[in-house]
Amino acid sequence: MFQEDGSSSVTSSPLQNFPMTLLSPAPTAAHPWLKELKPEERGLYLIHLLLNCSSLVAAGNLESANIALDQISGLASPQGDTMQRIAAYFSEALADRILRSWPGVYKAFNSTRVPAAAAEEIAIRRMFFELLPFMKVASVISNQAIVEAMEGEKMVHLIDLNAAQPAQWCALIQDLSARPEGPPHLRITAVHHRREVLDQMAHALSDTAENLDIPFQFNPIVVDTKVEKLDFEKLRVKTGEALAVISVMHLHTLLACEDDPRGGLSSSNDSGSSSPLSSPHSPGVESFLNAIWGLSPKLLVVTEHESDHNGRYLMERLGESLHFYAALFDCMESTLPRVSLERQRMEKMVLGEEIKNIIACEGTERRERHEKLEKWSQRLEVAGFAGVPLSYYAMLQAKRLLQGYKCDGYKIRDENGSAVVCWQDRPIYSVSAWRFRR
Amino acid sequence: MAASSSSAFLSSRDESEQQLPPPPANKRRRNQAGNPNPDAEVIALSPKTLMATNRFVCEVCNKGFQREQNLQLHRRGHNLPWKLRQKSTKEVKRKVYLCPEPSCVHHDPSRALGDLTGIKKHYSRKHGEKKYKCEKCSKKYAVNSDWKAHSKTCGTREYRCDCGTLFSRRDSFITHRAFCDALAQESARNLNPPSIGSHLLGLSQQDHMNQGALSSHDILRLGRPSPQYETLVSPGEFRPSPRPSLLHPNHDHDHQNQPPHNSMFPNKSSLQGLMHLPQLHMNNTSPNSSTGLFNLSFFPGNTNNTASTMDGVPHHSAAGEDSTLFSSGNLMSIAIPSLYSTSHGMQSPGGAQMSATALLQKAAQMGTSTSNNAGASSSLLKSFGKSPDHHSFGDGSIYNGGSGGGGNHLQDLMNSIAAAGVSPAASMFEQAEYRGFHGGNSNGLSSLEQAGRLTRDFLGVGEIVRSVREQQQQSGMDHHGKETQPFGGGSFR
Repeated sequence: MFQEDGSSSVTSSPLQNFPMTLLSPAPTAAHPWLKELKPEERGLYLIHLLLNCSSLVAAGNLESANIALDQISGLASPQGDTMQRIAAYFSEALADRILRSWPGVYKAFNSTRVPAAAAEEIAIRRMFFELLPFMKVASVISNQAIVEAMEGEKMVHLIDLNAAQPAQWCALIQDLSARPEGPPHLRITAVHHRREVLDQMAHALSDTAENLDIPFQFNPIVVDTKVEKLDFEKLRVKTGEALAVISVMHLHTLLACEDDPRGGLSSSNDSGSSSPLSSPHSPGVESFLNAIWGLSPKLLVVTEHESDHNGRYLMERLGESLHFYAALFDCMESTLPRVSLERQRMEKMVLGEEIKNIIACEGTERRERHEKLEKWSQRLEVAGFAGVPLSYYAMLQAKRLLQGYKCDGYKIRDENGSAVVCWQDRPIYSVSAWRFRR
Repeated sequence: MAASSSSAFLSSRDESEQQLPPPPANKRRRNQAGNPNPDAEVIALSPKTLMATNRFVCEVCNKGFQREQNLQLHRRGHNLPWKLRQKSTKEVKRKVYLCPEPSCVHHDPSRALGDLTGIKKHYSRKHGEKKYKCEKCSKKYAVNSDWKAHSKTCGTREYRCDCGTLFSRRDSFITHRAFCDALAQESARNLNPPSIGSHLLGLSQQDHMNQGALSSHDILRLGRPSPQYETLVSPGEFRPSPRPSLLHPNHDHDHQNQPPHNSMFPNKSSLQGLMHLPQLHMNNTSPNSSTGLFNLSFFPGNTNNTASTMDGVPHHSAAGEDSTLFSSGNLMSIAIPSLYSTSHGMQSPGGAQMSATALLQKAAQMGTSTSNNAGASSSLLKSFGKSPDHHSFGDGSIYNGGSGGGGNHLQDLMNSIAAAGVSPAASMFEQAEYRGFHGGNSNGLSSLEQAGRLTRDFLGVGEIVRSVREQQQQSGMDHHGKETQPFGGGSFR
């Protein structure tokens, strides 16, 4: 029975057709009813297929999941409308997850993959930074917080834990040079896993500082914090300097730890756990925060995704991430035309990779462990930091920036002194400032 | 401490704006605040001494006085010998005072303050505790006179913006109003996004830039918080303000070789900011393709880097250019694509496109509206609609098969969807999910109805199948076959 009907769909799979078409995917001959689906219906159907498939995958029912994936691939497309794209990336993530249950196959399948050229990925990420205002808003807010915290300071040391965009620091250098009391002696330590990024940043920042005649030092540190721990000695924090630590989309990677085989975290619920957190305590991030606290920074600015993608179970993560990335894909849709290759690349290399990591990976490999601000606030308070409310002027600048994008989907709101940037009603990123507290 | 000299030095709050060299020594000139006469006597007092209100104490009654003269006059009352010091005729050595706080600018002798009262007030203001609080607003002051002066004017002079916000200070009012105006005028100006786009399109031509002046000014204006904003309305009056550079077009990064057209200068810099898009790999796009939001042929060589891309020559390895592009660090470069979005945005093949977010919400609603109280096996959608219920997704045993509550809803859904006029199609059950089923066509069922059925109760699919079969039996359709495998329950054959 399966062969009769199934073969028609398997062999004349629509998959081959899709990469050729740049428009919405052409319906297949095997499923004429697909032609009849309006985009909204197709979108709804895709959602249900995705949910169904992921529950199958979570249950371990891989054969049925395979069939579900087949159907999804008949409808999804990275060049289609928003829901089709989302479905494409989520189904890819699910397929990746399935494949990992056969480690031999997985490794062989990926063994000859050539990683994307570093330059391309850097360019795509920069485009993402420029195109969508979220990261820029975070930069503006954190720069303002830094300028305010460093008022009157003569020696400023800035540590960027995930240094990717020189633009933020160029702007900060300009701000600091415009201070009434004159610029401080500025030192920036940047941490990143790619040497090229740090080289670019060194050039850009040194040029800016030189033009403005500011005493400036740049200290690059190449380390993949996902793989190895950051050696705090390398940061070379000196006494007497005012320290600001900036963490953009970085803290959550430290939550990666060994999960138990059922997909949960190895939580210690016993009374021995020192941290009164509602979430299982994660030793990695705790020790990191304690180490930062040990440097007694004047300011710590944390930017994180404002969504819980660190659930124990796949279905939780799927639900949350579907909503979250749907908002981001909608945002892309209203920013770039569908035919834009750059949009596709950004969706693939930035969003798609995050989705894949959230859905497909477990344990230490799952690094995109986004959590909401309230959990981060708890962790930071336990580690000895006190929240610094963002100033009116910082929020004002952020609002202006968003208005400059002439798209009324972007919203920003103040949540207990922290900023949350939203797309329509969906929170996307949060920016919060903290200070060392005894 | 002559009163006349104190006022000048009182103005030296913390930092002095001008750094003039000290005047020649033989001229007795009033120095700039914080830049004392080089041959003045430097006096460093301890904090305690500085803050002591009554340094001169009568030995008889221990009454304290701020000035020695007053103490002397007081001693007359005790019949004690007193001596009023006259102002000496010889040249009095100027005294300058240091702030005892080591981290303060005025701790350094070259930046000493010339007046004792001044240094006292400075120390209180900067390094002291703010003990005085205004009643009306919550402003705090360390120096009594400051507090009194403020209380006099607090609330007396108010500025109100059209939007209703109240200000007590003129400068903050003006800042706000500039911004507020921007809002008002932006909403008035939001009529023609394509026109703005066409201005951007015509960047290469000077005349286009001329026409584009106003809209670029709009864009320029968006980022300007300065009070001088109001003067920016007319092109050519571009006054850079000492405001944070994030909102400041980078006019100091003049990479262009273009004739410095003065009135166009602000446009250029803002447009330069606008054009801070990274170099793209144009390998796959032809220069003439209309896809090109990022077709940088729209943006001619106003930056030295983009010149080559204007020919549509693909740029490889954008690393070098990227750094220079971003060296200007203008975070306020406006996202041009968003301008296009209004014209190109929703390219729907037909009909209104729902955003993915809206679709998800709709799906969630459809899920929650099901009355399936299947206990542990609450439908995927039901949980999807709310925050995920952890316990329902334990492991494995999701498919407990729903209770039979869904049938009625299916009927309702089918009716509503049939009303929506979706054309009948081959049963997707047979061909798609339920491979095990032979296909008869379900005449009455449209594809969406079937989708709807799926949405009803994904998990309890067996129930769906059962109810579908019931329906079909009712409507006399072909039997779906004996296969009762729920969707996920087992292997399909």
